[in-house]
Amino acid sequence: MFGRRMVRFENVGMRYGPGPEVLRDLNFALEAGSFTFLTGPSGAGKTTLLKLMLLAEPPSRGLITLFGNDLAVTKKRDFPAIRRRIGVVFQDFRLLDHLSAFDNVALPLRLAGKRAEDYASDVIELLTWVGLGDRLEARPPTLSGGEQQRVAIARAVVARPDLLLADEPTGNVDSDIAQRLIRLFAELNRLGTTVMIATHDRSLIESTRAREMRLVDGRVVELRSARA
Amino acid sequence: MSEAKSNAKSGPKTSGRILPRERGAAPLDVVIAVMAFLAALALGASLLANRAALGWREGLEGKLTVQILPPARGDAAAALSRETGAVLKVLWNTDGIVHAGAISQRDEIALVKPWLGADALVSDLPLPQLIDASIRPGSDVDVAALTARVKAVAPDAVLDDHTHWIGRLKSLADTVVFSAYAILLLIAVATAAAVTFATRAGLQAHHEIVGLLHQMGAHSGFIARAFERHYAFSAFLAAAIGASLAALVFIAAGGLELVGLEPVPFLPPLSLAPKELLWLATVPLASGLIGWATARLSVLAALREIY
Repeated sequence: MFGRRMVRFENVGMRYGPGPEVLRDLNFALEAGSFTFLTGPSGAGKTTLLKLMLLAEPPSRGLITLFGNDLAVTKKRDFPAIRRRIGVVFQDFRLLDHLSAFDNVALPLRLAGKRAEDYASDVIELLTWVGLGDRLEARPPTLSGGEQQRVAIARAVVARPDLLLADEPTGNVDSDIAQRLIRLFAELNRLGTTVMIATHDRSLIESTRAREMRLVDGRVVELRSARA
Repeated sequence: MSEAKSNAKSGPKTSGRILPRERGAAPLDVVIAVMAFLAALALGASLLANRAALGWREGLEGKLTVQILPPARGDAAAALSRETGAVLKVLWNTDGIVHAGAISQRDEIALVKPWLGADALVSDLPLPQLIDASIRPGSDVDVAALTARVKAVAPDAVLDDHTHWIGRLKSLADTVVFSAYAILLLIAVATAAAVTFATRAGLQAHHEIVGLLHQMGAHSGFIARAFERHYAFSAFLAAAIGASLAALVFIAAGGLELVGLEPVPFLPPLSLAPKELLWLATVPLASGLIGWATARLSVLAALREIY
């Protein structure tokens, strides 16, 4: 698995409308099966970088290659298939309030065309793992911020994506739950998923041996390799 | 955990709905219902006008009326009787006339009753003698030649094949029918606009869901289907309520006639037959179709604008 590039950025720049560039001259690659923390001060461009990787925004310049697809020449009709290979934990969770925790987590599997009887046990097992086994039918508005975050994480990982992107995934949970979630990400990574997590949490970074990519003012200023 | 275990066996209740269920009727649903009510009324009115026009034409086509005026001088009754007999002979001997008969004075008084009342003075009026004749369907009776033969035996007779009257009635009926169609068209356009507006407003309210599904890799068709069903059903339901109320109005109009309220002369009954009431079902069906098409086109257009 290692050695194959899942993500590659070449001279990528990004600006919103006529504003200044928020990302500049990004050149990096994520190898298949790698685990990377994306760090940097607020406003450094971490969320924008994740948006480019999850195909929420096109870059203003440069080339992005995802799973071997050069996005500049990939047809738009092929984007949904690429997006389904990516699991995302949004900073604001983006759960559907009218669906239960179970149905929110099951959404990627429904989009992949799976039937409820085929995925029900997997969804229940995953929600139990994140500590929400007794809140399967709870709607997001009745859950605490931390619980909503765990539902969002379960939704991101349930389809075993090739690439997992998470924006501050442990921002609303206590340290025990945070460690538990990191173990979940690590387990997924062990099974082959490439993981990138944007975080400010130094203790989280220190607790793993993952590599770290540090952004400042829209540029990668440090790329620390995974520790042995 | 025990609940989780039992859920793992039976599975929790799942929702097939991607979009939230609306609570109560949105203001635009009410607008759709009102527009559908008006559209169904206009449709029903056009059906009534059509039926009336057909009835008027069928009632007069194939009929001849001979009117023999009482002579101003001499023995009017004897002259009227002699001319009536002569005209009847002419009519009975004419090819294509299947029936000819003099209308009794009592029936004539009944005919003028709606306009002149049943006053005793009416019987003193010098009413003309009317002769009613029917032409065999498909027969080509030469009305001009027949008029000449009738005039020869009864100089005071006037023959009317109702061509002029039928022409005016046809013109009136066509005006009523086309007016009803024009109103129906205007209301249909307004209904379509209301459904379109309601659908677009709903899409605007749910744009975050569209964005999320798109981000998670849902195909445009999957997202569009969720909205199509939702808005087709909403528009259908609102329009069904409006059309049902209009149907009740037509049924109630039939009820007024049943309880003895006399219909206005020359105006058709205001109630619709069961078969005609079924036409009102096209209003919610059309609204549902408009909701479906608008939702689909709007969602696909919105998705085309997203990266």
